[in-house]
Amino acid sequence: MTSRQSGRRIASISAERRRRKTGKRSGQTAGRREERPRPREKRQLLQLVICSAIFVLLVAAKLVLPEPMARVNTKLSRAMEQNMDVQAVFSAVGRAVSGKSGLDQTADEVYQAVFHPQKDEEAVQAAAQITASRAEGAIQVLRGYRQDASQDRTEQARQTENAASESGTAEVSTLAYVLYSDQNLPEGVSLEQAILDFDYCTPVSGELSSGFGYRDHPIEGEERFHYGVDLAADTGTEVRCFADGTVTAVGESSSYGKYCMVAHEGGYATLYAHCSRITVSSGRAVRRGEKIAEVGETGFATGPHLHFELQRDGVYLNPIYYVSAQ
Amino acid sequence: MSPRSERSFCVSFGFCLLTAWFAAVNGWRLTVLVLGAAAVHELGHWSVLKALGARVLGLRISALGAVLAVDSRGLSYGKELAVTLAGPAANLLSAVVLAGAGMETAAGVHIVLSAFNLLPIRPLDGGRALHLAASWLLGPAAGEAAARWIGAVTAAGLAAGLYWVMVKSGGSLWLLPAAVGALCAAGRECFGK
Repeated sequence: MTSRQSGRRIASISAERRRRKTGKRSGQTAGRREERPRPREKRQLLQLVICSAIFVLLVAAKLVLPEPMARVNTKLSRAMEQNMDVQAVFSAVGRAVSGKSGLDQTADEVYQAVFHPQKDEEAVQAAAQITASRAEGAIQVLRGYRQDASQDRTEQARQTENAASESGTAEVSTLAYVLYSDQNLPEGVSLEQAILDFDYCTPVSGELSSGFGYRDHPIEGEERFHYGVDLAADTGTEVRCFADGTVTAVGESSSYGKYCMVAHEGGYATLYAHCSRITVSSGRAVRRGEKIAEVGETGFATGPHLHFELQRDGVYLNPIYYVSAQ
Repeated sequence: MSPRSERSFCVSFGFCLLTAWFAAVNGWRLTVLVLGAAAVHELGHWSVLKALGARVLGLRISALGAVLAVDSRGLSYGKELAVTLAGPAANLLSAVVLAGAGMETAAGVHIVLSAFNLLPIRPLDGGRALHLAASWLLGPAAGEAAARWIGAVTAAGLAAGLYWVMVKSGGSLWLLPAAVGALCAAGRECFGK
């Protein structure tokens, strides 16, 4: 009887209202109905009990075992950060329908969009490792500098000032080396300046607003690896193809916005992102300097610019050697 | 015996929450596209229902999707099948039109929604269509059995596939609810009333 009564008390307002509507016929039937909680009310009560039980359990666990819970929390939030790019999924499927890309490519793009946004994740982890290893490297450099300095002091006392300034510059250059040595780079990145054996041109003449390498992400605020260069230009400025090649992908994603990829000879490929419009379609042969897109600020961008990436066999290279920025 | 003539329209709190979350993560543009596709889907069902002269009793929108409450007495298997397939068909048609107009993302939304609804798992249109078609051709008992077994096998396969991909890709947790949902559907088909 008590459970029935409490069931009635907790019953929602809508049920109450419904009862008022339907139960106007006679007092007797209404009374009988109120005695017996309906399945719906029972279910709601059960839901409420289960939810409160979960809530109480979690609070208790957090109070009793703060450390394991914190660990679970970080693990869970890391797993949840791997968000899928819904927009990219829809866009890939849509392009398959309009016949702009094959089924293989669509399946690949959907897989990438659902599972691969781990590139960011890897970059964050790499960045965290780098901060640690960089600090270590800097400490070693400083130690070396102290030894150098003490040697200088004992052996060549008269050139103290000179030596100090010299080892100062040495420190700066070593630090630069530490910052940009290969071991600190995320996977699939090379700082090598490759010699391209084909003609190329600058896709957009604009100001270099962000270079290749680690930077504080303009939107997320964290340090991330930037896999290309940003060339700032007005929306609608024409984007010219870097070199002769074939358009391999035209797409749209929440981070890159509207983008296209072009494959060149020798295993090179270029990517043009955040465009307002892509004027070529996948599979088309393009010539160096040909217009392939227009500058925009689609996707994750804070202003109109072209994000330009250069890859050789899937390894990111610094495009700055091949473009002339203002 | 007189049918209840009250029309009900109800939107659950869970749906509002889900929409708000989706909008926060993916932006309003995409949210509007998805809701628009869902509206086209329901409109497809509704227009065929109207054309066949059936009565629509209400619309319930919850976090799991929209459900039209229909007084389906007097509808033959063929007619009900047409009503069931009208939703996905409306989506496919819009997808073709939108793709032709160059709006690929919108077309993709319609295709994904329609493909999802055509899965042969029972609360979804595909499962219901399967049930109706099999009942029409082979009789109600065979139809029920066919829908039950095909639904259970598809749902279990889907759950296993999602789980496998999730583990393989290092855990994109967003697929977990889908996998659990598919598993529940399989369980309901196997052990349900």
